[in-house]
Parts: sequence; C-alpha cells; structure tokens
Amino acid sequence: MNEQTSPPPVPPDAPPVIPVGSYRSNQLGEDLGERVPIPNFIAAIECVLRHPRRVMFQLREPGAGRLIAALLFISIVCSIIYGLVAGSFSGGPQWWAAPVKITGGLLISALICLPSLYIFASLSGAKVRLAELTGLVAGLLTLMTVLLVGFAPVAWIFSQSTESVAWMGFLHLAFWFISTAFGLRFLHAGFSHAQAKSDTGFMVWTIIFLLVMVQMSTALRPIIGRADTFLPVQKQFFLMHWEGCINAK
Amino acid sequence: MSTFNLFEIGVLLRGESAAVRSWIDQPVLRRVVLHLGIIVIGAGCYGAAMGWWRAPQQALLVAIKFPLIILLTTAGNGLLNGMLAPLLGLNLTFRQTMVALLMSGAVTAAILGAFAPIAAFLVWNTPPFSPTAMHGVAYRLMKLAHVVVIAFAGCAGNARLFQLLIQLGGNRAVAGRVLFAWLAGNLFLGSQLCWILRPFIGSPDLAVEFIRSHIALQGSFYENLFHTVTDSLSN
Repeated sequence: MNEQTSPPPVPPDAPPVIPVGSYRSNQLGEDLGERVPIPNFIAAIECVLRHPRRVMFQLREPGAGRLIAALLFISIVCSIIYGLVAGSFSGGPQWWAAPVKITGGLLISALICLPSLYIFASLSGAKVRLAELTGLVAGLLTLMTVLLVGFAPVAWIFSQSTESVAWMGFLHLAFWFISTAFGLRFLHAGFSHAQAKSDTGFMVWTIIFLLVMVQMSTALRPIIGRADTFLPVQKQFFLMHWEGCINAK
Repeated sequence: MSTFNLFEIGVLLRGESAAVRSWIDQPVLRRVVLHLGIIVIGAGCYGAAMGWWRAPQQALLVAIKFPLIILLTTAGNGLLNGMLAPLLGLNLTFRQTMVALLMSGAVTAAILGAFAPIAAFLVWNTPPFSPTAMHGVAYRLMKLAHVVVIAFAGCAGNARLFQLLIQLGGNRAVAGRVLFAWLAGNLFLGSQLCWILRPFIGSPDLAVEFIRSHIALQGSFYENLFHTVTDSLSN
C-alpha cells in the first residue's frame, strides 16, 4: 500500500519577522529567517540595524565575501557622507580632505586592529575564522557609519552655527563614541557566538581599537579645522592634541 | 475617501491604546496630515500668544517658529531615532518611528494650543512691553508662565509616547531606553534650533525680526551655556 508522503517544506520567500532582542544567545541559524541570504545593500543596512543575527549567520556561510564587500562599500559611502558634513565646517579643501581622512582613517584603523582581534579571539578559545572576523569588523564599521549618517543632520546644524573648532571636535567625538559603542556591541554579539571561553580578550581589544581610532584622528588632523598641509607636520599624542585644542580656545 | 476626524484628537490625548496602536501599525496619510495640522495650529496659536506681548508682527513670526521647531527637530532626528529604536530593542520601522514622534508632537501642540487663550489673556492683562517692563515682575512672571506651560505640554506628550512605546515593546525597560535616547537627541537638537530661531518673546529695544540675522549663526546654545556657567563660577 502506498503511503501518503507530505511534500518537502518550501523555504519562505520573505524572512519572517525576527523578534526583538536579536542578540539572544541561542544557536545562529535556528531561526529560518536568519538563513535567508541578504540580497542587496539596503537589506544589508536593514539587517545590521534590525536583524544582526542574520548578518552573523550569513558571514559563516560560503560566499560571505560578497556580503563583506557590501558591508565595506556601505561603510565607505556612509563615511564619505559624514565626512562631507564634517568638512562643511571649514569648507575649501576640507570638502574633499575630511571625507578622505574619515573614510581612510576608519578603514586603516580596522585593518591595523584586525590581526590582534584574531589573536585575542583565538586566545579566548573562540572558534572563528579570519574571514568571519573580517566580516564582523565590517559589520561594526557599517553600523557605526550608518549611525554617523543618522547624526549628520545634527552635526550639520552645529557646523553652520559655530566657529569653535574645539566644540565641533567634541561634538564629532561624542557622535563617534556613541556610534562606536553600538558597533562594538554588534561585534561582541558576533564574538559571543564563537564559543569564546572569556570576554577578557575582546575587552582588551576594544580598548586597543578605541585608542587606535582616536590616535588616528590626531595623526590625520586637521579633520575639522584648516591647515596648510594635508597631513600634520608635527607628530603628537592625541591627549596632547586635545589639550592644545582646548587651550587654543 | 475618509475625511479628517477631529474627535481623533481626544483619542490621542487620552492615549486610547488600541486605536493609537492601530494608527502606528497602519499609518494613513490623512491622519499624518491631521497630526501635522494639530502641530501647526496648536503650537502656532501658543507662539502667537507668546509673541503678541512685543508686537502683532512678532506674534505672527513666533506662530511660524514654534511649529517649525517641533517639525525640524522631528525631521532632523528622524533618521537617527529610527536607527536607535531597533538597536535599543524596539522593532519599529522608520515610518512607525516618525508617526510615533509626530503623535507625541501633536499631543504637545494640542495642549499648547489649549493654553494659548490663557497665555493671550495673561498678555492682555500685562502692562505694555517696554524697556522698564523687561526688568519688572511682569516679565519674570511671563517667562515663568511660558516655561511651566511648555514643560507641562512636553511632559504630557512624552508620557503618552512612553505608554505607546511600552505597548509596542511590551516592556517598560525597553520603552524607557528608547524614550531616553529619543528625548536626549531631540533636546540636544531642539535647544540649538531654538537658539538659532530666537527671539520668541522679543525685546522692546530691538527690531522685530524672524531671526537675529547678525548673531543667529554665531556660536551654539551649549557654548553659550558653558560660558555662562564658567563666568558665573569665576565671579
């Protein structure tokens, strides 16, 4: 006698709504929605903001290179947009110098810190490939720069209202800090799915990453103000630079 | 085609959960226009009452500026607020975020509009705005009255928004986080917009104008606040 067999399950066309609390700790990919590939840039931004687990899962799949490239592309575009807003404070050559410096600074900082992240992840017992970590860092940059674009209208209004470089520097640093905090939360969530035995390595790396970024902003100065040269003539530690900016006011 | 239903203002003010929730889930253009209208008329009327003490022309200008501040703050922070909601645990779309903030602005503006006749009555009973009046009790009383009314309207608008966020997120902690982030951003930008668009009450010694064009874009609200505090401390 022939048995009635049910048809194989058909994958859904659209991802189901993923509940809030997307950083929950169950296995990545348990939710079918996380298995749906991310088709385009807009979907990538949407996923980084709303469904980060989908991004984390897709970064583990074969062909994650395309997603990483998309995330990096979004980061570059968003950095350029924010750079234009930062450059609008001084105008002139800063219209192009600020976007170049902000975009370059972010990418170089990430590149400099990537090997140490891999080392700390491995030392923490995390089972993670360098490609996946690259993707997570690209996700960090994406979330950070997308949030910076969100801050851009506020930054622009202040850019047009004040002539104080110190105040604008403080404001951009505050926006950068908030955006980076959310970006690091994304990275930490990705890190926690790699079965790391401890978070200490990640915490140490976070401090290193923040220090590299703030020093990068000093090494590439001026990003907001004006100067005769594209890059600074004198080398300085970022704390000394900040002190100089405050005293100059 | 459905028309504007002014009874919806009452639903909004009472914060009737089921109705307001459905407005957020299925936003329709006519309701958005209604909320915009409430903001323009409500905040505009209060602004007119505020500016009337200086001159009728000042009343007209403040009637334009007051709604403009609410709308520019909502628009300027819209993108950021839309990003912060899901990051802080509330799965709202950009459209839902904007609608929720617009509703909160409408509640605030409706309250301001309701207080506009009282503010106008206060102005009517106050001596004419003169250089001497600026140093008298009347000016201080007027400023205090405006601060109290605006603070009350702002608190009521945000209380309704908080209730709505609890409903959407099902959690007071998440709603509190999102509301705090939105408020911080709106306060930060709104203060600067008020600074740029000053004066509101005006000054009897200075001309009536939309913005103080020679100083509007010189310095920010926060720099001024910082200098005021440091000067006060040093003295």
